[in-house]
Amino acid sequence: MFSKPKVPEKEGLHIIIVGCGKVGITLIEQLISEGHDITIIDTNPNKIQEITDIYDVMGIHGSGSSFSIQQEAGIENCDLFIAVTGSDELNLLCCTIASQTSTCSTIARVRTPDYSHEAVYLKEKFGLAMIINPELESADEVTRLLVVPAALEVNSFCRDEAEMIKFKVPEGHHLDGMTIAKLSHTGKFKTLICAVERQGQVFIPNGAFTIQKGDVVSFVAPNKRVKSFMDAIGMKSTKVHRVMIIGGGKVSYYLSERLCAMGMDVKIIESNKDRCEELSLLLPKATIINGDGTDQSLLVEEGIEDTDAFIPLTGIDEENVILTLYAKKVSNAKVITKVNRMNFKDVISELDLGSVIYPRFITAETIVAYVRAKNNSQSSNIETLYHMFDNQAEAIEFNVFKDCSVTGIPFKDLTLKKNLLVAFINRNNKIIIPNGEDCIKSGDSVMIVTTQKGFRNLEDILA
Amino acid sequence: MNSRMIFYILGHVLRVEGILMLLPGICGLIYHESEAFIFFLIAVLSILFGYLTTWKIPSNKTIYLKEGCVATGLSWILMSVVGALPFYLTRDIPSYIDALFETISGFTTTGASILTNVEALSHCALFWRSFTHWIGGMGVLVFLLAVLPLTGGSNINLMRAESPGPSVGKLVPKIHTTAMWLYGIYFGLTILEIIILLISRMPVFDTILISFGTAGTGGFGIRNSSCTDYTMAQQWIITVFMILFGVNFNSYYFILLKKAKKAIRIDEIRVYFAIIFISAITITFQILPSVKKLSTALCQAFFQVGSIITTTGFATADFDQWNNLCKTILVTLMFCGACSGSTGGGIKVSRILILFKSVKKELHSYLHPRSIRKINMDGKSLDDDTVRSTNVYFTTFFTLFTISLFLVSIEGKDLITNFTAVAATINNIGPGLNAVGPTQNFASFSTLSKLVLMIDMLAGRLELFPILLLFAPSVWGSILTRKKHV
Repeated sequence: MFSKPKVPEKEGLHIIIVGCGKVGITLIEQLISEGHDITIIDTNPNKIQEITDIYDVMGIHGSGSSFSIQQEAGIENCDLFIAVTGSDELNLLCCTIASQTSTCSTIARVRTPDYSHEAVYLKEKFGLAMIINPELESADEVTRLLVVPAALEVNSFCRDEAEMIKFKVPEGHHLDGMTIAKLSHTGKFKTLICAVERQGQVFIPNGAFTIQKGDVVSFVAPNKRVKSFMDAIGMKSTKVHRVMIIGGGKVSYYLSERLCAMGMDVKIIESNKDRCEELSLLLPKATIINGDGTDQSLLVEEGIEDTDAFIPLTGIDEENVILTLYAKKVSNAKVITKVNRMNFKDVISELDLGSVIYPRFITAETIVAYVRAKNNSQSSNIETLYHMFDNQAEAIEFNVFKDCSVTGIPFKDLTLKKNLLVAFINRNNKIIIPNGEDCIKSGDSVMIVTTQKGFRNLEDILA
Repeated sequence: MNSRMIFYILGHVLRVEGILMLLPGICGLIYHESEAFIFFLIAVLSILFGYLTTWKIPSNKTIYLKEGCVATGLSWILMSVVGALPFYLTRDIPSYIDALFETISGFTTTGASILTNVEALSHCALFWRSFTHWIGGMGVLVFLLAVLPLTGGSNINLMRAESPGPSVGKLVPKIHTTAMWLYGIYFGLTILEIIILLISRMPVFDTILISFGTAGTGGFGIRNSSCTDYTMAQQWIITVFMILFGVNFNSYYFILLKKAKKAIRIDEIRVYFAIIFISAITITFQILPSVKKLSTALCQAFFQVGSIITTTGFATADFDQWNNLCKTILVTLMFCGACSGSTGGGIKVSRILILFKSVKKELHSYLHPRSIRKINMDGKSLDDDTVRSTNVYFTTFFTLFTISLFLVSIEGKDLITNFTAVAATINNIGPGLNAVGPTQNFASFSTLSKLVLMIDMLAGRLELFPILLLFAPSVWGSILTRKKHV
């Protein structure tokens, strides 16, 4: 019994998180499951009490921008400092002070449009490792979905060169009963089916796997071929032209900016008159309607029945969900729902709302990817990371800098872990869907899909 | 209530106790005592039972404060019930109630004994008796948190329920690492004491057992005369270590991190040392006429004060014979207790501080009814919740004290005996005055009184509520009706 207790195999990073709002809590939850030492700082003692009761973290009550509070939180030995309070200015100040006292990397949330256009400048001048903007990233995700409306979810890899598309096999569709091997060769190019979710369980399929109706299928394809593949398998969809957005918050602004640039016809319904005026100045091409977005007659008047896409982006989850259900009933529009609170995720997924985006989750993923990339070996690091199917699977893109134990060997000679799939190799911006003869070279970036957790570098794929 | 998880924790406690019980067995083998086999038998059975109950890991591992409290309370009772078996089966203590009293007194680091002739015990029984102090000092569940991969933030509730003091803070972000640090410091200090006592030429067996007693602030002597036989140098060493173990362990962590300034800044520690110093000097001058030599007087005064305030309960002088001022000081110190976050018992210096400060605040508000004042500790303002819970603790403490005093006085002993007996058990000290004075013991009490005192000891060690919760019928209702956890 006097033997020294076993030290956990993975040495965690020391991370300080300032601000325990919804993003903060999602981050804590994600990072704690990866085994890091986390200290939180918040000005609300009740919030700290609540969080320390549930998660294994140390809480400090005080202002995150105070030097002495940062010291109390152990800033000297800190590896990563994340500021996610409600105020952009405070976040930047916290990070500036932190980087003066220690050598840690700093991440700040900056989300007001005033600053976000200068994100690159701010990042450089303040010496930040990363600036996160959940609203902007949510807008990006919605934009991707509107390009491929038949998909439930679209994630991009290799700086938008490749995409991972998730779609649901409808009832009576000809895919029902088809094997993966056959499906992959439908269409002109080879496509890789990387994961299938059936009744809450995720499978990494092999060629003999048979698709059934109701399955949610994920596949990876180079950006340009996604549409032709979707058409080929009969998941045809019309191009989105008219978009109706409810609520004129930050996500709406970022989203409308993107959609207008793509030439879509955007209509925003916002109840606050002042905000409407602001938006009309910022978005001259969009139609701004001042009115209550939950008012049924207003929606009908503004043409909910024949819009191509309907996106409720109000700050209230319940409203968003109800609006989605209504839109699905009265129109054939593509509907994308924004849900802020993670707590009732399982209930929401049972509602069959179609595409749902969780802004908090998107941000947390970016940071988790960064954190994993931070403490790994020299030969490869994580470029992007997505959680798929309620965290049951992960899609990870690695950059390979140097030769290591997985490079230069054809896949047929490598013993990979179970439930793992190498989805593609990106060599000089060319997407290769690998077969047994291919091998990884240094300079590539490689994407894997797996139901196992905690991968930090590419060598982890070996069994 | 997550009863699966409570049973799981109980299983682990049983297993750890079994493993720990191998040590007295080994001690018995060294001294060629046949009693050793009983220790081995119980140890093996405990490990086996523990294994069976912890075979399946519960799917729902969340424990809330209520589960934390209930699991802690039940763990300590289970530990005591099993820990008493060797005394009973080896016939060292013929009555099971007496054996249980002795074990609870050991685990709760009280040191109140029912034995009239300690030296008659076998070596392995003596070892186990003192070892229970060491186990109970820092707590078994904290030990579990240090060695088990019981990840999950909700385990802080176990630590909260077991650690002494009004507010339980973490040293580092993870409970697991915090628990490891605490046990590391505890273990390190114990080893240090053993080494220093060995250098002072104390016999090896005495060294180890006395160190266990000091570390846990327990106070089981291994000679009939407690610590009187040891040389003055040895007595001073024990005094210093008793006082050190009564200090908040967080300060050691700060010192190890070379942040000694931060350790000194803790209000509680400064007050603690001030109390010790003032009381000891006062007593020195009071007993000087009878002892004659200043060095002896100083040594006796500091030893007794250190022993009582840290709730250890060793004795080098029969303080029952001292004058009334000295006895009053000692009885007051009994209630005061050591620092929070140490191994000592009692009300805790920090609580006393909070109470004094809130009284001051209240008085101030009589003078200036509209004034606003926050209570400060260590340069930070205390939130109302801590102040409130301190007040509730205080009220509960004295309610329990009064009820126990009534129950004990039924059998008709004198007031001082009853009062100090309850005070000495609820504060986990050991000796009281008169019939339970340092040269006497608790053997003469009736079974009812012993049971009451046992509950007092457990309640005192676990900060009242985990034990009192076990008396709530609704708790039992929800433990026994197993709800399906999805």
